[in-house]
Amino acid sequence: MSGLVLDGVSAAYRDTTVLHEVRLTVSRGELLVVLGPSGAGKSTVLRVVAGLEPVTAGRVHIAGRDVTEARPGRRNVSMVFQSYALFPHLTVVENIAFGLEVRDTPRGEARQRARAAAETVGCAGLLDRRPGQLSGGERQRVALARALVREPDVFLLDEPLSNLDLALRAEMRAELRALHDRIGATMVHVTHDQTEALVLADRIAVLRDGRVEQVGTPDEIWRTPASTFVARFVGSPAMNLLPADGPLRPGGEAPTLPDEPLEIGFRPEAVILDAAEGTPATVDRVEVIGEDAYAYLTLSAGQPVVARVPAVRRPERGATVRLDVRWADTHLFHVASGRRCDP
Amino acid sequence: MRGRTRGPSPLPERAARLWRTLGAAFVILVFVPPLLLLVAGSLTEPGLPPAPTPQLVPDPLSTTGYERALDLGGLLRASLNSVLVAVVAVPLSVLVASLAGFALARLAPRVTAVVVAASLVALMVPATALFVPRFAIFRFLGLTDTLVPLIAPALLGTSPLYVLVYYLAFRALPAELYDACLVEDLSPLRTWWRVGLPLVRPVTAGLTALTFVLTWSNFLDPLIYVYDRNLFTLPLALRSLSLLDPTNFPVFLAGAVIATVPALVVFALAQRRFLHHGD
Amino acid sequence: MLTPYLVGLLVLVLLPALVTLGMAFTDYDLLRPPSWAGLDNFTALVDDPIFRVALLNSVVFALVAVPLRVLLALGLALLLHRRAPGVGTARTVALLPTAVPEIAYGLLWLWLFNPLYGPINQLLRVGGEHGLTALGRTPPQWLTDPTSARAGIILMSLFTVGETFVVLLAARRALPRDVYEMAAVEDATGWDVFRRITLPLMAPVLALLAVRDAVASLHFTFVPAFVVTDGGPPPYATTYLSLFVYQTGFEYLRYGYAAAATLVMMLLTLAAVLVQWRLIRRYRRFYQL
Repeated sequence: MSGLVLDGVSAAYRDTTVLHEVRLTVSRGELLVVLGPSGAGKSTVLRVVAGLEPVTAGRVHIAGRDVTEARPGRRNVSMVFQSYALFPHLTVVENIAFGLEVRDTPRGEARQRARAAAETVGCAGLLDRRPGQLSGGERQRVALARALVREPDVFLLDEPLSNLDLALRAEMRAELRALHDRIGATMVHVTHDQTEALVLADRIAVLRDGRVEQVGTPDEIWRTPASTFVARFVGSPAMNLLPADGPLRPGGEAPTLPDEPLEIGFRPEAVILDAAEGTPATVDRVEVIGEDAYAYLTLSAGQPVVARVPAVRRPERGATVRLDVRWADTHLFHVASGRRCDP
Repeated sequence: MRGRTRGPSPLPERAARLWRTLGAAFVILVFVPPLLLLVAGSLTEPGLPPAPTPQLVPDPLSTTGYERALDLGGLLRASLNSVLVAVVAVPLSVLVASLAGFALARLAPRVTAVVVAASLVALMVPATALFVPRFAIFRFLGLTDTLVPLIAPALLGTSPLYVLVYYLAFRALPAELYDACLVEDLSPLRTWWRVGLPLVRPVTAGLTALTFVLTWSNFLDPLIYVYDRNLFTLPLALRSLSLLDPTNFPVFLAGAVIATVPALVVFALAQRRFLHHGD
Repeated sequence: MLTPYLVGLLVLVLLPALVTLGMAFTDYDLLRPPSWAGLDNFTALVDDPIFRVALLNSVVFALVAVPLRVLLALGLALLLHRRAPGVGTARTVALLPTAVPEIAYGLLWLWLFNPLYGPINQLLRVGGEHGLTALGRTPPQWLTDPTSARAGIILMSLFTVGETFVVLLAARRALPRDVYEMAAVEDATGWDVFRRITLPLMAPVLALLAVRDAVASLHFTFVPAFVVTDGGPPPYATTYLSLFVYQTGFEYLRYGYAAAATLVMMLLTLAAVLVQWRLIRRYRRFYQL
């Protein structure tokens, strides 16, 4: 049974359509990450599910119920906001119990469950503080506890890690995943951070300009990107794209290519430098990040290519190198549509 | 430049502070005397010939002015009326203003724009330009010579300005807080009460004080609507006291002190909120 | 949630404004039902010497007192915008007269201005003999001489600039500090800083406050004229529009006529609002707000 279904949902802000017939199905207990650049409509997806934005077309089903017309409070969803939206005038325990108390759960029981939820996310030591006295990570935990306590049908998380510093973000990412595995809740998590998406998700939905570009497991998204957009958005530095009939001929067994303009994509780590016979390129600059180095190259025909090499074997700036890729490491895309081509 | 060390020589900064303090002293010297004189005048023995020189401490010091003011002017009764009006009008006014401000912050932008524009216009119209038609309306409703017209401005939040101040305060709260309330199924009224109001408490405190000062000092409305001596509020009773014997200054100055003290006390308590914030 | 306020706005402001419009064209004394008078009230107003004096008085007051009030408030704001010992107290003190109930404030000045008992003239007589000042002149007969009476009411109004002061104080403190540090680096003198930086930056606020104060002056001249000078000294030296409307309506029971005068007052307000609107638009364009 599905936890959440978006059936051809469109939404508009003023006169601009921001979601175009989005179709998504999230199974019960699944963690779906909605990934996309800013302005792609990621947050709108969450807000439509929560009922904070109206749909202009399509239906929303939560736990088998059509909630398209239901108001936010009647959808049994909970939301962790980007800014956490903790109530500054309430203590932590009051914040967590808020949703229960306004729904007339007896005070004692509400506090009891709030404490349990705080225990689950590891903020039980903060119960009597106010949000103003908490660090970013602590606020994050309180916001999670507040979302947990009502045991909703769907959790909606709107870039909850984006306000944390790098180290804390990695830590909270792992905890969030562990929390999901522990409570087995249906979650929709929005982010623009591809690493976060790859680490957290059961499945990822890549969003572009209000349309779903691809839905798949992190492996599928990484290994078989459905379009040049997904290919370049996931992975850093982005995947190299070159015309298939261009200067670079990959080595190995070539597939039979259809007779239309194609692009070859390959990730920086697929590039082989110092190939005996390869395409010549000049090294524009080299970035060293610890053990790895990224070499930014220009082919003789002018196209840029990025290559990842071990730092100890990095080329000099201005040097001429020969580079090669294997067919097995490449992806093919139709130039006209940008969609993947599997010959 | 507070809290910062500036440059190698602290001397100019020190001199500047001294000048500023001197300026402050000058301001105090100009603005305090009228109020001190008010108190001094009220403590003068009534009926004495004019003193040849101004006296900050009257000789002899006398409270006769206060006794006569209370006896002759019915100031006690009037104070009671004033308190009655304030007790009803001030909470009502703050309630109306905060509800309206909250609604404006949450309604569709177009509705808000219209109401805000109307409020700004209402703010510009001088009160004296409305007393004739307002009087006609209240007379038509049969409400003249009651305290109702004195409480009625509470429906405007006493001044549309206060509604606008609440509107800005509620609008300044993060939108996600309101979203969170929607997800928790709070009605607008409960959102206002449980989340909105607690978060703008300083605004409420300041506006309550200002509303009190305005209501307490209201002279025009009682002047126009109230003729029954038993319904006189303090400002109106003060006026009739001064008409009783226009040369008996200590008596009506004493009355003026009685009317001024509550307003000044409340105002002094509240002024920190809008005068010194950010210092 | 908006309903009570909308009712208030409607019944206490919009409806009265409409009623004024209607009443201005009638004869109405509250006893008999109003009778249509057409433009009679307005032609009478044009010929009414008292009305003309009142209109002139109000305009002159606005032209003289409003600039003085705004300048005074600006001076206070500039003097008191930075911290130093005593500054906090001075800010509070500068506001206190504004918080005194109008009627009490009026009565206070009624006494202060009294030629015989009043402390002002007592002070002026210090050092003089036989009731003359030290320079051998007669002290001003504040409430009986037309010029002194008008000056007196302006003087009264100068102490109640609290609201304008608060706004200007906030505006001055909102000015960016780096601009002033830049000026200090350029070694600009105080006067240059004021003329070339502070004044231009605060000009929009000052202009808006001046217009607002001009409109408000139609209102706040009422109590002083009513309590302190009673519109006098004769003939009508301090009868302002507000007092004229009050007396016409509530003392002579000519409500239609009073409404016509009110309408003139509202038209003045409208003109001021239009000026204000144009100012806002101009500054908006200028500062790209």
